[in-house]
Amino acid sequence: MVSTTSSQITLLDNPPVLRLIARLDIKGSNLIKGVHLEGLRIIGDPQVHAAKYYADGADEIIYMDTVASLYGRNNLIDVVSRATEHVFVPMTVGGGIRSVEDARTLLRAGADKVAINTAAIKDPTLIKELSDVWGSSTIVLSIEAKKIAPKMWEAYTDNGREHTGLDAVEWAQKGVAHGAGEILVTSVDQEGTKKGFDCELISEISRAVDVPVVASGGFGSLNHLKDLVTASKPTGVAFADALHYNKFSIQQIRQFCIDSDIPTRKAVFQAKTDK
Amino acid sequence: MPTFPKRRRIDFAKFDPSVTDREVKYGLPNSVTFCRRCVTSNQKPISAVEFQHKPDSKKQAIHLDDRDICDACRVTEKKTEINWAERDAQLRELCDKHRSSDGSYDCLVPGSGGKDSFVAAHMLKYKYGMHPLTVTWAPHVYTEWGWRNFQRWIHAGFDNYLCTPNGRVHRLLTRLAVENLFHPFQAFILGQKSLAPKMAVLHQIPLVFYGENEAEYGNPIGDNDSAVRQWKYFSAPEKSSIHLGGTSVKDLTTDYGLEQVDLDPYLPANPEDLKSLGIEVHYLGYYMKWHPQSCYYYAVENGGFEASPERTPGTYSKYNSIDDRIDDFHYYTTFIKYGIGRATYDAAQEIRSGDIDRDEGVALVQRFDGEFPTRFADEIFAYLSIPEREFPQASKMFEQPRIDHAYFNNLADSFRSPHLWSYNNGQWSLRHQVK
Repeated sequence: MVSTTSSQITLLDNPPVLRLIARLDIKGSNLIKGVHLEGLRIIGDPQVHAAKYYADGADEIIYMDTVASLYGRNNLIDVVSRATEHVFVPMTVGGGIRSVEDARTLLRAGADKVAINTAAIKDPTLIKELSDVWGSSTIVLSIEAKKIAPKMWEAYTDNGREHTGLDAVEWAQKGVAHGAGEILVTSVDQEGTKKGFDCELISEISRAVDVPVVASGGFGSLNHLKDLVTASKPTGVAFADALHYNKFSIQQIRQFCIDSDIPTRKAVFQAKTDK
Repeated sequence: MPTFPKRRRIDFAKFDPSVTDREVKYGLPNSVTFCRRCVTSNQKPISAVEFQHKPDSKKQAIHLDDRDICDACRVTEKKTEINWAERDAQLRELCDKHRSSDGSYDCLVPGSGGKDSFVAAHMLKYKYGMHPLTVTWAPHVYTEWGWRNFQRWIHAGFDNYLCTPNGRVHRLLTRLAVENLFHPFQAFILGQKSLAPKMAVLHQIPLVFYGENEAEYGNPIGDNDSAVRQWKYFSAPEKSSIHLGGTSVKDLTTDYGLEQVDLDPYLPANPEDLKSLGIEVHYLGYYMKWHPQSCYYYAVENGGFEASPERTPGTYSKYNSIDDRIDDFHYYTTFIKYGIGRATYDAAQEIRSGDIDRDEGVALVQRFDGEFPTRFADEIFAYLSIPEREFPQASKMFEQPRIDHAYFNNLADSFRSPHLWSYNNGQWSLRHQVK
C-alpha cells in the first residue's frame, strides 16, 4: 500500500467515473488543432474523426467552433446534424452561442449540451436563462484558463487570445451559481503541448464547484492521466492532440484506466474486445 | 529653432469623402487594388535600402499582375514546382564545403530566437551537422515572453552574441524615424541588417544563414532566383549618402549631439572586408519548404517556445514577431501610411501557407487591422520622448520633446495619404477595404 494523505484516501475511496471525451475544434469545414490554442493546423474532416472516435468508444464528443466569434455565429449546425447519423454518444457543442435561440438551434440539430464562454462572461445571466429552459445538465461553462501567478488563473476568451480580467476559479463558482451544470476547463498553457495537464488548475476548480469538471489540455502520455486523477477529481478528460495525431486511441486510454484502477465506463471497450 | 513642431497642420479638406482628385503620398499607386488570392494590396511597399530612406523617398510597391495576383502569391505558386530533394542536396553540399572540424564556427545565424531563427539554427546544427554561431540585435524593449524565448533558443544548444545598442542613441534615432518617416522600427532594422555581416567579418565566418527570403513577402520575384542575397542591401559604398532616421549622418553629429561612435552599430560593414572574407548569405527558405506555422510547432517541440499571453493588437496571432514592445506600433504605422496593418500581413502569409482561406483572412483583416495598440502605448511614448535632462542638445530640435497620445495621433494624421483615407464627422476611415 502506497502511503497517501488522508484527502487522497478519501478520493480513492469514492472515485468518480472518468468520462473519456474526444474534443474536436472546428474551423469552417475543417478539424483543426493548435498549440496554446495558436498556430491552428488543419487536421482533416471532422466527420471522419468523430466517427472514428465514436467507434473507438469515446464516452462523449465535444465540438468547438473556433471562428464563431470572428463571424459572430456558431457555424457547426451542419457538422452536428451530420454527426447525429453516426455518433451515438452525447455531443457538447460550443462557440458563439449568445442567446437561448442560438442554443435551441444547436440542440435541435442534435447537440446534447451547449458550452458557453464569451457570452456568459459578458452577461452571466445568460447561463441562468439557458438552464431555466433546458436544465443545468445541458449547460456547460467553458473556461479557457491561463496561469498568471502561483495558484491563480485568468479566464480568457477567443481561443486564449483575449483577457477578461476574471479569476478562473471564482468565475467557475459564479457560473455554477448561475446554473451551469458542468465546467469544461481548458488550460491555455498546456493545450497542445503534450506536457501534461495543469493538475493544480483542475484541482482548484473541481474543489471549488460541486458539478462535473472536464479537464482539457496537455495530455501527451498515459501517465499524465494518472497524475491528473491523483491530484484532482475531474469527472471527464478531453483528448484532442493525442487522438488527432494518432498518438493514442480511446481504447488504449481506456485500457490504461482499467489497468490503473481509474474507474471508467467499460461496456463499449468490452463489447468491442468480445468480437 | 526646433525642426519638429509641436503640432502639424492637417488639411482635412483633402480627406473629404467627396474629393476625387486625391493626393498620393510616398509614390504609391493611385488606385488601390487587392490581391485576389491573399488580402494584401498594391500599396504594400517592398523592402528598400533603409540607409537611403528620407521623408521624400518614393516607395516601390508590390506588383500585382494583370489578373490581380500579387508577386508573393506567385512565388508561392512557383514553389510547387520546386524539387525540394534537389534543394536539400544543394544545402548538404554547401554545408559539406563549409563544415568545420577544428572547433571553429562554420556558419553564422542571425536571429532573435523567434520561431524562424530557432528553426534555422537548430536544423543547421542538429540535422546538417553544422557549428553555428548565433548573433542577435536586441529589440527596442523586450517583452517578457520574447526574452524567455530568446533564452530558450540559446539553451537549445547555441553560443550567442547579443548586441544591445546604446539606449539613448537608439531612442533618439527611433524618434527621428517616427518624426521623419513614421517608421518606429527603422533603427532596429538598420542595426539588425548591419550586425550579421560585421560579426561575420569579426569572427571570420563567411557563411551566413537566414531563415526565409523576403521575396516571400513581396520583393520582386527576381530576388528569389538566387539564394545569395544581393549586395545592395548590405554595403553602402559612400558613407555620406547614409541616413539614419531620415537624417543625414552630418546632421546627426552637428544638430543632435551624436558622435561617430554612437552611429557605428548602425552603419553597414565595409564592402572591402566583406569581399576579402568572401561572405555568402543564404536563405534556408530557398533550400527547404518554409512554413511559419510549422516553425512555431518545431520551436515549441524542440525548445519550449511560448506564444505570447494574448493576441498582438492589430491582429489575431500570438506566435510571430512577439519579442519587441514597439512592434505593435510598427504595424500601426504601416496601417496609417499604406492602409496595411498587422492582420493583413498575418492573414496574407497564412493564406499563402494554406492555413486559412481567403474568406477567413478577409474577416480577420476587417476585425483587427489598424486597431490602436493600447497595451504598451504609454511605455512606448516614454521611450520615444527626448527629455532635456537626458538629451541636452537633441531635445532642442523638438518643440515638444515629450510624446503623448495627442502628439502621436497628430503625427499619425500627418502621414495619412488622402488617396487612402477619408475624414468624416471626426472619424477616419479607409477609402478602400479588402472584400
